[in-house]
Amino acid sequence: MKILKSIKWRLQLWYGLILVVVLAGFGGTAYQLERNRQFRQIDEELHRRIGVLANALHRPPPRGQNAERPPQGLPPDGQDDNPPPMGDNPPERMPERPHNIFLNGRPPLEFHLPERDAHLFGASEAHGFYYIIFPRSGGKEIARSSNYPNHEITTTSVNSLRVVNVFSEFPARIAKPPQMFSFDDYRETGDVLPSGEQIWIGCSILPELKELHRTAVNLTLVGSLILVVGLAGGWWLVTRALNPINAISATAVKISAGDLSQRINVAEAESELGQLAAVLNSTFARLETAFAQQRQFAADAAHELRTPVSVILTQTQTALNRERDAESYKQTVEACQRAAQRMRKLIESLLELARFDAGQEVLKRLRLSFTKTISDSVEMVQTLAEERGVKIISKIAPLELTGDSERLAQVVTNLLANAIQYNQPGGEARVTLKSQDGLAVLEIADTGQGIAPEDLPRVFERFYRADQSRTGAGNAGLGLSICKAIVEAHGGTIEVASEKNRGTTFTVRLPLT
Amino acid sequence: MRILVVEDEPDLLASLAQALREEGYAVDTAANGADGLFNAEGTDYDAIVLDVMLPGMDGWEILKRLRKTKKTPVLMLTARDQTRDRVKGLDTGADDYVVKPFDLEEVFARLRAIIRRSANLTTNIIEIGDVQIDTAARHVFFKDKAVELTAREYALVEFMALHRGEVVTRTQLYEHLFDENESSLSNLLDVHVSNVRKKLGAEFIVTRRGHGYCIE
Repeated sequence: MKILKSIKWRLQLWYGLILVVVLAGFGGTAYQLERNRQFRQIDEELHRRIGVLANALHRPPPRGQNAERPPQGLPPDGQDDNPPPMGDNPPERMPERPHNIFLNGRPPLEFHLPERDAHLFGASEAHGFYYIIFPRSGGKEIARSSNYPNHEITTTSVNSLRVVNVFSEFPARIAKPPQMFSFDDYRETGDVLPSGEQIWIGCSILPELKELHRTAVNLTLVGSLILVVGLAGGWWLVTRALNPINAISATAVKISAGDLSQRINVAEAESELGQLAAVLNSTFARLETAFAQQRQFAADAAHELRTPVSVILTQTQTALNRERDAESYKQTVEACQRAAQRMRKLIESLLELARFDAGQEVLKRLRLSFTKTISDSVEMVQTLAEERGVKIISKIAPLELTGDSERLAQVVTNLLANAIQYNQPGGEARVTLKSQDGLAVLEIADTGQGIAPEDLPRVFERFYRADQSRTGAGNAGLGLSICKAIVEAHGGTIEVASEKNRGTTFTVRLPLT
Repeated sequence: MRILVVEDEPDLLASLAQALREEGYAVDTAANGADGLFNAEGTDYDAIVLDVMLPGMDGWEILKRLRKTKKTPVLMLTARDQTRDRVKGLDTGADDYVVKPFDLEEVFARLRAIIRRSANLTTNIIEIGDVQIDTAARHVFFKDKAVELTAREYALVEFMALHRGEVVTRTQLYEHLFDENESSLSNLLDVHVSNVRKKLGAEFIVTRRGHGYCIE
């Protein structure tokens, strides 16, 4: 039953079946036509010979001159009409017609086959035409050909017996029009002359049967050949058509086993399956990227947690190694606290990003003054700026938009803190807010050493730190990722541009609606 | 034994250095790659504990440059425990690695192992005549009796034992027993040597006039 569930086998079975039916129909018809043609020929021959035989029947002349006359005087219409062929004796015809006259002891017809027609009968001919003629009254035949198969009556052959039986029954049963009988290797027909005589004629149809047999064998051979070629071609075609499916399923199996780098080999991009394969391939590629990002994210998160955990472990293990004074215990606890704070911050950032990723972060959508949000943030980082000797220059246009003020303040503060942290002493952090094309455009630029062009496209990636020296406690490289997530959740965009040794500019665009 | 620790996380660096000092090592520290490489190239450390992720120059780079001039055993501290990171470290010339977060006990054991291997020893027990030194337990036995040694005295014995048969100069001893922050008074070494001789027999450490000391 498994084989029936395979599309390949079902297809094969189906058109195999259709092919067989079509071939059998054609072959059968061809055979039947050939058979009819052969038999029609034979039947024509048989009828022609009945005519000949009817002409050979004639009434014995009153005087003994019948030896020469019948062959010459037989009219062609003798079989249809009056068996007596006497053209020169019309008065004699009239009384012959009624049956009673015939029955009244009139001499039976005589049969004399002319020499020129003799070749039509006899064993010498391939078909071996034979005949038997019964008188009107039945009983012993008037004539029979020498090759009449009844000779074989002495044999015990069933065929022969049947032949005899059929013949012996016909005289009583036969009716016009003459019927054709085929049995065994013979085909026979009979005719009742108007005068009541019955002519039976038959022949062997062995040559025809042989011919038909040959035809049947040929047809079967050709049919089988066509069937085999058709099935083989079909198999090839189906295999070829289904090959991509096999490739797809093999690839899918490997992918489901965990190897996401597998791709389907798209050989025929034009075919329906080729298009499917292309679609699947692009899906696989996206899956692989997503999985790789997920894996990288998890690995990075774990990596970021390793260092603070190491701090706690070494600090506590060292502290516990021996008795210590209160001051060193205090130092240990403080170090552990710093490490724990760092982990807390990291975990909060990770959860925040995860919420944005899952679309679970619910933003408040309130009308707010973006101007105020920015000036508040500037105020917040003022102390840090003074510590680093960085001057904040702000040029803020009054703008309102709809959003989550806390989240937007987080973005501004983060960008500002970066602009201060990665600046040089005496540098500037410029904050510009303006309205442009229906968007609020916020630019925060520093005069730091800038970001290398190769790092620029990656600064918003999670855990990406362009410069390892920028690393510090609590900076895991998630700040810009979170900024990006917040801005995008507000329907805005964030971009970065940088020039080496000149500074970096972050541009945030938010819809003003 | 003098060890250099290169680690950028200040709390981790401080506790590692303290723990190693309490284990009897002389410890120098560096908080970034450049300082680390400078120290490592300038001094013959017995081992270096090197973090991979460092500001300025990462651990791989330091190792690559250091290997051009020094064979100092290096223990890498890595936060990445993927095989390719470990393979990269070992292939670059690291002698061993520890994955963060680690236990101090493991760091100590691995340090002892790489130091031992660099001295071509296979076990933690060194036997010299009647003296038996267990470098793992940091115990010394003389004629099957445990001998009380101060940390500095033990470090002297261990260092001399690991360089058995060699003449160890006073400079070498100063370099390996004291870290960069200690003001080494020149007669401090003589005090330690004479104390060791009192405890382990006068002929345990032989003085080679004008050259240094030797354990035969």
